[in-house]
Amino acid sequence: MPGFFRDILPLLWSGIISGCLYGVGALGLVMVFKSSRVVNFSHGNLACLGAFVVYGFSSGSLLSLSWGSAVALALGIACAVAVMSYVLIAPIVFRSDLASTIATLGIGLILQGAVQLVFGADIVNLDLPVPRFNFSLGAIRVSSYDLTVLAVTLAIVGGLFAIIERTKLGVAFRAVSTNPFACEVCGLNLRSVHLFSWLAGAVLGLVAALLIVPTTFLSSTTVPSFMLQAFTAAVVGGFSSLPGAAVGGILVGIIMNFFSFYVSPEFMNTFLLGVILLTLNFFPNGLLERAIGGRV
Amino acid sequence: MAVSDLAQASTARSSAGGGRVEIARFTVLALVAVLSLLPLLAGGFLLYSLSLCFANALAVLSVSMLVRYGGEVSIGHSFFVALGAYAVAIVEHRLGLSIVVSLPLAVLLGAGAGFVFAFPSRRLSGIYLAVATMALALALPEILIGFEKLTGGFEGLYIAQDLIPGVAKSLQHYYVALLVLVLVCLALAHFRKSAQGLALLMAQAQPRAAEAMGITRSWARISIFTLSAALASLAGALTGFASSTVSPNSFTFFSGVFLLVGSVVSLNRLSLPAALVGGAFITLVPTYLAQAGDWVPILYGVALVVVTLGANAGDLRRFLPRGSGR
Repeated sequence: MPGFFRDILPLLWSGIISGCLYGVGALGLVMVFKSSRVVNFSHGNLACLGAFVVYGFSSGSLLSLSWGSAVALALGIACAVAVMSYVLIAPIVFRSDLASTIATLGIGLILQGAVQLVFGADIVNLDLPVPRFNFSLGAIRVSSYDLTVLAVTLAIVGGLFAIIERTKLGVAFRAVSTNPFACEVCGLNLRSVHLFSWLAGAVLGLVAALLIVPTTFLSSTTVPSFMLQAFTAAVVGGFSSLPGAAVGGILVGIIMNFFSFYVSPEFMNTFLLGVILLTLNFFPNGLLERAIGGRV
Repeated sequence: MAVSDLAQASTARSSAGGGRVEIARFTVLALVAVLSLLPLLAGGFLLYSLSLCFANALAVLSVSMLVRYGGEVSIGHSFFVALGAYAVAIVEHRLGLSIVVSLPLAVLLGAGAGFVFAFPSRRLSGIYLAVATMALALALPEILIGFEKLTGGFEGLYIAQDLIPGVAKSLQHYYVALLVLVLVCLALAHFRKSAQGLALLMAQAQPRAAEAMGITRSWARISIFTLSAALASLAGALTGFASSTVSPNSFTFFSGVFLLVGSVVSLNRLSLPAALVGGAFITLVPTYLAQAGDWVPILYGVALVVVTLGANAGDLRRFLPRGSGR
């Protein structure tokens, strides 16, 4: 029995850490979905492109800039691509959710092809420029990576919620996600709110990708498949609730950790498929529907 | 029964359409005639690619059917295609039986898997189904490699048994695939006019009216997905039969997306020519552009975006004079 407890605390801890990142990824998806009713299937591919840009510009394979300026460049490129993607689907975004969702798949394919063309099918490492240290807290080993993830997640989620709760843009965003027609009647520009959510989605996706890559490696397929965790987190949270996405991410991180430790690390995606199907069947509006209500 | 009245009304209208229907029918007949005589002239690689085109055209039809009748997008139909293909391979390896047995089995398995998969999201909007199919597509390679004892792992399995002993393999593959494709297209045309088909279309276009007549939306969702998955599985069985091998290489995450590309490129139509266009697009482009490798996803992505935008272009006019919309 004590052995069991010795395992469970570290598993919980590392589940929470990776769960934070799934949550950040999911927040981007939910932002876009809430405002424009589009499921952005290019989310993972865009984040992957961004991470590769950081790698290319900081490792010397394209340029050798400092990590900070490479990230700034990558953010710029990700935002530009997000704006271009939105402009592409703008004509059909009000007409059909389904058609615009298919179009985002097309954009995802284009970005995937672009990454493969420029960076090849290489597998590379991309670390965070933080000093390395570890310390033990009871049974849990805390590393500098864990602390960075927690700090960045708290900062970015806190910032996002502050924008949504306090600023005019945030009020507009909430209004549009509640009733777009009424907003249009009142003279609110839906396009600018959509653009805000697409930009926020791109930034959140890139941050999540940069933070998850040090735990594995970077290749043209890892980040897009990492986004399955984000999608699962969004479904667990109900797909239209921002706090739901954040909490869903942490839940998904924890259960995935338990599954891979106690059952099998080879069937992660199958397990996530099961989680999605069970959630859709028993909690169609998300696990947290009753606890916090469906909306922000 | 009101739905069958609707069926009669629609047949009456289509026969009133007159000449254009006749021309379309003639074109399809000519196409079938050309395709069935083609093996006299061509051989080898072309026949092989065409048999794969036919099988892929069926898979494209299954996705288009889901879009048309269910208004839903799937990027995970590669799962059901793989199910059919592996059913054929495993039946041959374990039981030593040919596709006479495994083809119907594949259809049943596909229908069963489709039902199980569609059931949880029966009450939700199509977007949830699309997300779930993404998980399905990503889980597929894992399952194929993980259950190594059954599926042969990375190396896959060979399919060697003939349907009719003594006939050249390439001809068998070609004609079986063509025959099934033509039969399925005929069945789909019939389905469009049947009471069941109209009921499904009605549940999508007028959910409330349909509900008033006893056709619930969730029933419509589940049944269309089940039918579509069965068709995809049939397509997979033929893919396996035509290519004589199944392996995880042919069922990556992207194969599901490519099926959707084929469907979108054929404008989600359910006719034989449209299915052939879609099937050919996703079969021949990777074969003939093999050396252009990384440009293939870009090309497919551009095709998806351009066709989707073009098909919904009626709406573009709203952007020119501001305020004239709605």
